[in-house]
Amino acid sequence: MTSAQELVDDREGENIFRVHRSAFTDPAIFDQEMAEIFGRTWLYLCHESQIAKHGDYVATQIGTQPVFVIRGSDDDIRCFYDVCSHRGSRLTGRTSGSAKTLTCRYHGWCFNAEGACTLVRGGDEAYRPEDLDRMDTNLRPIEKFGSYKGFLFGCLDADAPPLDEFLGGAMPFIDLMTDQAPDGMEILRGESRYMMEANWKLQTENSTDGYHVATVHRNFATTVGYRETLAPEGDSGMAKTEASRILSLEKINSGGYDVGNGHMINWADRGNPEAGPSWPQREALLQRYPAGKVKWMLERGRTVTVFPNLLLNDVASSCIRVWRPISAELTEIETWCIAPKNEAPEARRARIRKYEDFFFPASLAVPDDVRAMEGAQIGSEALEDGWNDLALGHKTLVDGADDAAKELGVTPLNSNPGREVETPFFAFWREWAARLSP
Amino acid sequence: MTDARAAAEGLLYREAWCLDNKCWEDWLALYTEDAVYWAPAMDGDEGWTDDPDKDVSLMYMDKAGLEARIFRIEGHDSYATDPLPHTAHLVTNVLVHGEQDGLTRVTATWMVRTYARVRGGSVRGGLYEYGLRETADGLRIATKKIFIHDDRIVGPIDVYNV
Repeated sequence: MTSAQELVDDREGENIFRVHRSAFTDPAIFDQEMAEIFGRTWLYLCHESQIAKHGDYVATQIGTQPVFVIRGSDDDIRCFYDVCSHRGSRLTGRTSGSAKTLTCRYHGWCFNAEGACTLVRGGDEAYRPEDLDRMDTNLRPIEKFGSYKGFLFGCLDADAPPLDEFLGGAMPFIDLMTDQAPDGMEILRGESRYMMEANWKLQTENSTDGYHVATVHRNFATTVGYRETLAPEGDSGMAKTEASRILSLEKINSGGYDVGNGHMINWADRGNPEAGPSWPQREALLQRYPAGKVKWMLERGRTVTVFPNLLLNDVASSCIRVWRPISAELTEIETWCIAPKNEAPEARRARIRKYEDFFFPASLAVPDDVRAMEGAQIGSEALEDGWNDLALGHKTLVDGADDAAKELGVTPLNSNPGREVETPFFAFWREWAARLSP
Repeated sequence: MTDARAAAEGLLYREAWCLDNKCWEDWLALYTEDAVYWAPAMDGDEGWTDDPDKDVSLMYMDKAGLEARIFRIEGHDSYATDPLPHTAHLVTNVLVHGEQDGLTRVTATWMVRTYARVRGGSVRGGLYEYGLRETADGLRIATKKIFIHDDRIVGPIDVYNV
């Protein structure tokens, strides 16, 4: 088997950056990823607004492990392995729900929302007290659990660095989303889970790939543009889309950053920022934050791709996307619309319609992305000596901050003008190779 | 069979025929000018979103939105939509529930078998709720609500395969 490091041909002095396509197809590499990345890095679980009250829970997975996040009677949020301490049955029967007491469906043991075992059915008759002490009947918390601005993350490696350290250079870009919401943010009702018959890393690349927008999403832009001609008055104001932006790349101030730890940023000035749902908050935001930051919040669309499988997208609408590997060739993708609490109805409606236009598996964009990535998976199987060359934009790459980053007061590891670049991918692949290296 | 049910069935079957035979303009003509086309999203394991202004839907479109979907297909520039799969709509269990807000309320059950050469065959199913209105051109669709039962969706969802 080829080692993961050999699959990333990273020769900085020679301006070469290539990834071998077997990284997308080799089952042995996949097994390593599950152990060394999904078993050890911080992973996004859910948003705190989804578990607003005592007993509210969300059941999900960390890598291959079933876990659930639940709010306790003390208002603290905890995350446990979703496993009965008795004989291993999964405790939650739903993807989300509310239960101040979780009762195992198999034999009836009960647990409270703080993870303590509150009933061993028939236990008094069948066990000595010391038996129960030995068994440790309480639920097992995951090794590390934390929140950043309401985004909840978990990690199965007790020795992992703190969440803030892991998020690092991505944090100022996450703040650009959350700081638009003085009352906090909330996940809107309405779920979508869809399958992609392709490797999970293709979605990581796609999430920060500005180069595909003008090709794969040309159809989105022309279709939405056409729709606006049918209802010129119905699609005015906040309902107005940014279709024109996709088709006129050369005029757009944009760029891509490597912000460290495998996190990637892609951004582009918005075509008509005044149509954005948060634009009415502009004056209030200018009172609270520097003008450069407010410009970034409202006038620049951003994709923030957090290693290894989270996208926070704040463009015409706002989306959280997580992609979970099932096998080397199969990935489950889940998305949510996130919005500032107490948003005005007109802004909320526009945000939702634009979200449906782009981010759902029934939208005018995501199905085209999925098909493109599935095509890449098929092609990746084709050549034993196939390499993906990621040097696009190498010529214009600069160390540190560009002018736009300086406006925000941040210093990426490197910056690149123009979003049609692949250099942000270096962040991901270098982190990937390092984590898979012995 | 009542006349109302026969009329409703005729319209629903006509819609399925138009979609499966890719007669997009004929399909669009089955909708009133003020039509609302709505596929709510799932909410939890058993529920659906119910307020398109506050919740996310899989699709929530007016007639311009439907026409744009045809534009998307006919442009042959959408990776997901070109080539189009073959579809076979099975529409059954048609029931008329009387009049409400000037519309005839009709429910039905659907399954769509889709075949694409890349992906092979797949089957999806769910329920329909229609609001039908008698117009000068005949019985037309004023509202269509589609409950798509499939979670962990495989392949695109679009107007032609639900």
